[in-house]
Amino acid sequence: MDARLRRVNKEIADCKNDKSSNIDIDLVDNSPFHLIGSFDGPEGTPYEGGHFEVDIVIPDSYPFQPVKMKFITKIYHPNVSSASGAICLDILKDAWSPVLTLKSTLISLQSLLCSPEPRDPQDAEVAKHYMTSKSSFEETARYWTEIYAGGPGKAGKGKASGPRDEIAMAGLDSAHVQQFQSLGFEKSKVIDVLRRMNYRGANVANINDDRVVEEMLKP
Amino acid sequence: MAAQTTTGRKDVDLAECALLQGEEWEVLESIYPDCVSGDPSSGLVKLEIPIEFSGPKAVYVLDDRIEPPYTTADSERIGTGPSFVPESPSLSLATLPPLLLDVMLPATYPYSPPVIQSLHATQSWLPVCTQLRRILLERWQDGEGVLYNWIELIRSGEFLEELDMCSEVNGKEAVRISHPAPHMLIPLLKACDQSAQLTRFSQASYECQICLTSIKGARCILLSCQHVFCRACLEDFWRLCITEGDVGHVGCPDPQCVKAGREANEEEVRRVVTEEEVRRWKWLREKRELEKDPSIIHCPMSFCQRPVPKPVNVDDGSGWERLRECLDCGYSFCAYCKRTWHGPLSDCPISMTESFVLEYLAQPEGSSEREVLERRFGRNNIRRLVAKYEEEQANKQWLEDSTMSCPSCHVYVEKSLGCNHMTCAKCKTHFCYRCGEKLQASNPYVHFSTPGQRCYSKLFDFQSIDDEWQPVEGFELL
Repeated sequence: MDARLRRVNKEIADCKNDKSSNIDIDLVDNSPFHLIGSFDGPEGTPYEGGHFEVDIVIPDSYPFQPVKMKFITKIYHPNVSSASGAICLDILKDAWSPVLTLKSTLISLQSLLCSPEPRDPQDAEVAKHYMTSKSSFEETARYWTEIYAGGPGKAGKGKASGPRDEIAMAGLDSAHVQQFQSLGFEKSKVIDVLRRMNYRGANVANINDDRVVEEMLKP
Repeated sequence: MAAQTTTGRKDVDLAECALLQGEEWEVLESIYPDCVSGDPSSGLVKLEIPIEFSGPKAVYVLDDRIEPPYTTADSERIGTGPSFVPESPSLSLATLPPLLLDVMLPATYPYSPPVIQSLHATQSWLPVCTQLRRILLERWQDGEGVLYNWIELIRSGEFLEELDMCSEVNGKEAVRISHPAPHMLIPLLKACDQSAQLTRFSQASYECQICLTSIKGARCILLSCQHVFCRACLEDFWRLCITEGDVGHVGCPDPQCVKAGREANEEEVRRVVTEEEVRRWKWLREKRELEKDPSIIHCPMSFCQRPVPKPVNVDDGSGWERLRECLDCGYSFCAYCKRTWHGPLSDCPISMTESFVLEYLAQPEGSSEREVLERRFGRNNIRRLVAKYEEEQANKQWLEDSTMSCPSCHVYVEKSLGCNHMTCAKCKTHFCYRCGEKLQASNPYVHFSTPGQRCYSKLFDFQSIDDEWQPVEGFELL
């Protein structure tokens, strides 16, 4: 049995035996080289109550080269791409060490949820949102947790029911959206532009209405 | 018996003594199998006791012909007094050579004291043993075995305190050894300490953090940062790094050491990988150093390829700054066209081969023009040149299509995954993988987050990745 398989099997077994860390690793298609890791959103964060899944691919030269990880569960976080789930964490790149394991890497991901690094963002828009208004960012992150990660809703009823609020998904104020919608723009267009322009919190005062309209008129 | 007369006891039960001696010896053999030898029933035993401190200790070896022997009163001020300015710096030792004891156990021991027939320090590092002999004998108590007590007293180094050989130097405990020939003793102490540590290391077991297996120290490597890994894992890791040219990761795999960028030293690399890999590793390191300087050009001789630096003391613009002289093969060439040196004044000659290869390719296959060119330059020669040209073009095309070059050092980078913010592995320049623009190191993301910029919101290329998302049910309806 080659060293890579031996080590991965050991790691999976170790994770299964360790109940205290609350990190799960499951096989995809019975191959130990394609896995799904999952963990709960840390308490005291907007991700609390959510359950997050991470796609794990073990490269041929593991553990000498880093595992490939990305979020399967959509997540609103400055260091995770909100579109693709890609994570740019240093230990998944240059700072990888063969001493790191699947479990320790997943724990690092979990702690990344506790301490976002907006100055080294992966999703520039989310990072801007975070910098502009932390409370608004947290609200949006909580909403995403509710919609995608099975987090508790505002009413605490568990899974979100009813239609999803696109405005809340984008972390915008419905009054702002309505204001531009009333000019005759489509709702989705308004949301798209306001989101890109970071039309939130104190930043609203910095953005001239003309600029918004100009942006919306662009093809 | 003699022993009975010394203790003055005639009622000692010899059978009980033999039993007690046997028991004591059994315990010692199980705890210190390496320290004890001999047979107590013969009445003669041998103890060989190494001195093992709990950690490395400073040891000063003083010349006792110059320094007056210290009295107990003196030792108080030794740490600070002018008399204690050792000429040689202290040694840092975790062990001292063993003491050898030949002990005679009378038949009535432990009801009568053991007799130390000889007490001797290996390498004679402890010249006078009479005081120690007295200390050991004082430890004996009627009816109780004393050998364990002796071994512990010596092994732990505690006896050095009782011999007044310890003092405090700079707040740390140090051992002071007076010896007639320090220059002879010091290397012996060092060698002994080293071999003791090596033995201890190779006998212990370590959990290799890479293969997650417990492995005997003999098959492990202790790196200078004190981290231990199994030889096989380090070999695989370093070999891969060296093969891939990732010289920066040939170092301790511990995450802290990786973050600190601690690279292995030559001795460590030599112990792990083959001679050929060591050579490549050294070459890579040298290359990395040289490539920090963009004026360095590799010798165009394919067999040579040595990095050639710019000539010193030449004026910019004089033409001489283009000259490169290879120190290995002696080839003098122009840094611009990489052809044989054509002087500082004349322009680089146009590539003749390229021009006629282009002319050849411009003509239709089988045409008479091609035939003329084939006759002039030789058919095989032309075919070879055309093949070479096409390969170069394909290569250029590929570099253009699938890679981006660093705006500072022009190394080509192919992205496999992740975002478009790149940091050049070679020169640490931040740049955008989409457009190749240099980015501010302090805030590289501004390039992707400023509306109106061409790479605005293009930190990720979504097209290819988007498909992997499960569509969110009902999301479009809203």
